[in-house]
Amino acid sequence: MPDARALPARLRTAQPWLSTVARVGLAAVLIASGWLKLVDPDASVRAVRAYRLLPETLARGVGFGLPVLELALAALLLLGLGTRLAAAVFAALLVVFIIGVASVWARGLSIDCGCFGGGGQVAAGQTHYLREILRDVGLLVVALALAAFPRSRWSLDGALRLTDDAAPVPGAGTSRSIR
Amino acid sequence: MTNARTARAVREQKAAEMRLQAARSQRRRRSAAIAGTVIAVLILAVGIGVLVQTARSSSAAAGGTPRNLTDGAIMVGKPSAKVTLTLYEDFQCPVCQEFETESGKQIATWVKNGTVKVAYRPVAFLNRESTTQYSTRALDAAAAVVDSDPGAFQAFHDLLYAQQPPEGSAGLTDAALVQLAGQAGVPTAAVQQALKDKQFEGWVTRVTDQASKDGVVGTPTILVNGQKLSSFGLPEMQAAVQAALKGGTSTSTPSPSGSVSPSTP
Repeated sequence: MPDARALPARLRTAQPWLSTVARVGLAAVLIASGWLKLVDPDASVRAVRAYRLLPETLARGVGFGLPVLELALAALLLLGLGTRLAAAVFAALLVVFIIGVASVWARGLSIDCGCFGGGGQVAAGQTHYLREILRDVGLLVVALALAAFPRSRWSLDGALRLTDDAAPVPGAGTSRSIR
Repeated sequence: MTNARTARAVREQKAAEMRLQAARSQRRRRSAAIAGTVIAVLILAVGIGVLVQTARSSSAAAGGTPRNLTDGAIMVGKPSAKVTLTLYEDFQCPVCQEFETESGKQIATWVKNGTVKVAYRPVAFLNRESTTQYSTRALDAAAAVVDSDPGAFQAFHDLLYAQQPPEGSAGLTDAALVQLAGQAGVPTAAVQQALKDKQFEGWVTRVTDQASKDGVVGTPTILVNGQKLSSFGLPEMQAAVQAALKGGTSTSTPSPSGSVSPSTP
């Protein structure tokens, strides 16, 4: 587990702010993707079906449940509650999405990823698999960084003193008080 | 003196370390409790979400089916025609409009001389491309047309593509759809009432879902005697129809991806 105190001084000061920015940015993406799927549950299920990976029952479960999970994760990230856990779950989701799109690409199917709603349909020759994967990889990097450095400003975790070094530590040492 | 001081310092340091440790383990317990709560809330939220969305989805699929369908499709042409052309189209889909512009005349010729019959399986994939669910409304109107006069469907279909609203717009109004139905030769009252009551929107939801289950992921999807074409260009369709006329024997129930079961039992 990386330790924020091992970072160079300047980065150590900036890290809680960077993590706050990461929280808000990832939450914004999750709100957009979750909401656009939530408003049209049938399209959401069609998008999952289009991957041809899951049996019908599971496809419906994912199509209906995924948008809610995305919105719940967004809420956690915005609150800064269970930041490490939320970021880790999002990272795991992104890995699944990347595998899904890569598998569709490899099988030569022609679909839209449905990442931001829609039923997965795409006009012939209009697929954007590389772009979709790169976007998810970018998000994955941010989510992993946040899971590694969950301490952030304006967070419930900080207010509840859950992160290891919630208080700003100018010179790390045993002198700092906990209460 | 020095010894005593050192001993006290050691004691104090030990005490401080123990305090630190206690605080740390308390924090850890609290973290674990929060993590447990967070996971429980996530699972609960997803569970409730699935239930709510399932209910929304199944209520959207309720409602009547238009009369005059054959095996769930809107048939145009002589039943004896040797070749069945199955078309999955969305009235909001610009590529479908291109397809209609390029190939509509050829299809009409085939239908007229009795070589080809068309099984229209329109779907509403593209509701997000208008601000008023135009895909669904247009198909609802088409269903009302078929319900009252299946012979008017082709004309209504052609009018809808001729007047297709651009993506991102509000689409044609219900009144405009009713007017087009009138132009196609249907008594407008029934169509007007159907749009007002969203009479066939449940059917629209069901056929759209069925198309997705049958492996249709885009429009237009074109099948010649059940064989899915790889493009929507006219030459490929002409070649496929010629081949079917020459060698083909079957006009089996079309299904886009071979192994998948046919639409609508």
